Amino acid sequence: MTRLSLRAASAEAKLLLIGIPVAIWTLLPIYHLLLFALSPKEQAVSGKLWPEHPTLHNFSMVFHQQHHYLSHFWLQMWNSLIIAVAVGAITLFIATAAAFAISRLRVAGGRTIMNLALFTYFIPAAFLAVPMYKTMSSYGLLNSQWALILAMVTIATPYSIWVLKQASDKLPLELDEAARIDGASPLQLFRLVYLPLMMPSLVAVGTYALLLAWNEYLYAFLLLSDDRSTTLGVALGSFLSADDSPWELLMTTGLIYALPPAAIYYVFKRYMVSGLTAGAVKA
Amino acid sequence: MASVSFRGVEKAYGPVKVIHSIGFDIADGEFTVLVGPSGCGKSTLLRMLAGLEEISGGTIAIDDSVVNDVESKDRDIAMVFQSYALYPHMTVAENMGFSLRLRKADAALTARRVAEAAKILNLGPYLERFPRELSGGQRQRVAMGRAIVRDPKVFLFDEPLSNLDAKLRVAMRAEIKALHQRLKTTTVYVTHDQVEAMTMADKIVVMHDGRIEQIGSPLELYDRPANLFVAQFIGSPAMNVIQGTLRREAGAAWVEAAGGLRWPLAPEGPGRDGQAVAYGVRPEHLALGGGAEAVAAEVIVVEPTGAETELLVRAGDVQVVVVMHGRTNEKPGQAIRLEVDRSAVHLFDADTGAAIRA
Repeated sequence: MTRLSLRAASAEAKLLLIGIPVAIWTLLPIYHLLLFALSPKEQAVSGKLWPEHPTLHNFSMVFHQQHHYLSHFWLQMWNSLIIAVAVGAITLFIATAAAFAISRLRVAGGRTIMNLALFTYFIPAAFLAVPMYKTMSSYGLLNSQWALILAMVTIATPYSIWVLKQASDKLPLELDEAARIDGASPLQLFRLVYLPLMMPSLVAVGTYALLLAWNEYLYAFLLLSDDRSTTLGVALGSFLSADDSPWELLMTTGLIYALPPAAIYYVFKRYMVSGLTAGAVKA
Repeated sequence: MASVSFRGVEKAYGPVKVIHSIGFDIADGEFTVLVGPSGCGKSTLLRMLAGLEEISGGTIAIDDSVVNDVESKDRDIAMVFQSYALYPHMTVAENMGFSLRLRKADAALTARRVAEAAKILNLGPYLERFPRELSGGQRQRVAMGRAIVRDPKVFLFDEPLSNLDAKLRVAMRAEIKALHQRLKTTTVYVTHDQVEAMTMADKIVVMHDGRIEQIGSPLELYDRPANLFVAQFIGSPAMNVIQGTLRREAGAAWVEAAGGLRWPLAPEGPGRDGQAVAYGVRPEHLALGGGAEAVAAEVIVVEPTGAETELLVRAGDVQVVVVMHGRTNEKPGQAIRLEVDRSAVHLFDADTGAAIRA
């Protein structure tokens, strides 16, 4: 059929009616980000829909650290990266081991431990910020990046365990039994059978923890107060501490800071959707 | 190759006992089938032998050494699962060679053993494929290949053919049997399908509610069932069973069913006058005919299968199946008379279900 039936056309129209506002809602801030980043300083707030003389000058300023707010741009970018990767890796290690023990080895009390871990989400992370600060201070970790890494791992782990546990519950138990009969020790089972089959979920959970740490502001702000140890996210916030904020540079840096997560999401989106929803429904 | 023995084996989940003191022996090289309806404990028993379930009581021994506390991997057994349980991320060759890889066997040896098994099972062209790229029958063969490569003391099969379609099941049945004749490895095979049990086994163990009902060769079970359960479980179509009272008079014997219908017995057979019994006769031991002792009946359904014809008939208030070789002109509703092969009749005690023997 070349002509759409009325029914299909109306269904399409309804989808567009929802989709277009959502797209505008989402894209408008990003458009602003881009607009500021491409505008010369004096035109940034001119109210035009597109700058008369679009320029990459702002990017050059950021990359060459030519503003006192940006004096540690590359170092802070590196800090953000190191912390995010470390949080992703450590969370993944803890959550995978825990999920394997609870779901496959059926360790006694495993379920209780998982539920206790999930229970921590009843308390908003913001409430825990001050106790966390006290704790890190008593361990002498303030201003050390380990403080933020440990805090973020603490926050990311319960959900990660839960997602991985749900995903591994879906692997048939016969595979473990077959491997045991084939002669596998628990460690060999973990390495040779469990890990390869869990790969999609592992990628999803690792990315989740990594992005959580990358986007974290509150804890980073509290635990890392030195300009040289803090993350780029916190540095962006400090742009607003003066009256004459360089908006075009703030927006440019923000745009740059948003690119790695977008790239990571794009590369792993296949895993993200299937992996994070894998644990969503208790089958 | 090895013998296996069960001595007073029990399994309980908390207070619920699912296996009640089971004991029997499997000889070296024997093909033993555990058969019974679902929930009878046959798979549990197999899994206890595999080391996948704890043994609550009694002992299981392989080659005279008790394995109760031996880990699965050290029992030197191989198991084929109903779901195949192939490792999805490994190729056919990797799946088959996995057990040798775990034992750090020499790569050349592994490759040789895998190639041998692949040749036996016609899997040569598929060695580099992944399980998802194979058909059901091929996956089943890979699962068997994985077992063969091990060269274990005992092969365990847990309902391996249940996921296959009817035609393939028949073909794989023959393959497994041929494989056993070739390798002569002691085999324990679990199924709920009595046809599989009959066609493959050297020895059948019929189980029901966690107990053994009877152990014997296929034809022993078929010809001399120890009780009503075995009689009705083994054989397809199932044995006809008619409840009634045994009568002896003037050198003749019969079972009188409700409505006064007389089912003939050999006069020299066992049982006393007035005893409440179940009268069992297999469908192929009934024929159409008009002798003096023939039983009046009415045809309900005619089912021609080509070589044979199955008739469902009503005699008195019971329905009876008759299997005849060749074809027949009987029509539903037609009155017929059934001739019984008296020498092939089985009598069971109406209360206990035990066979009544002379």
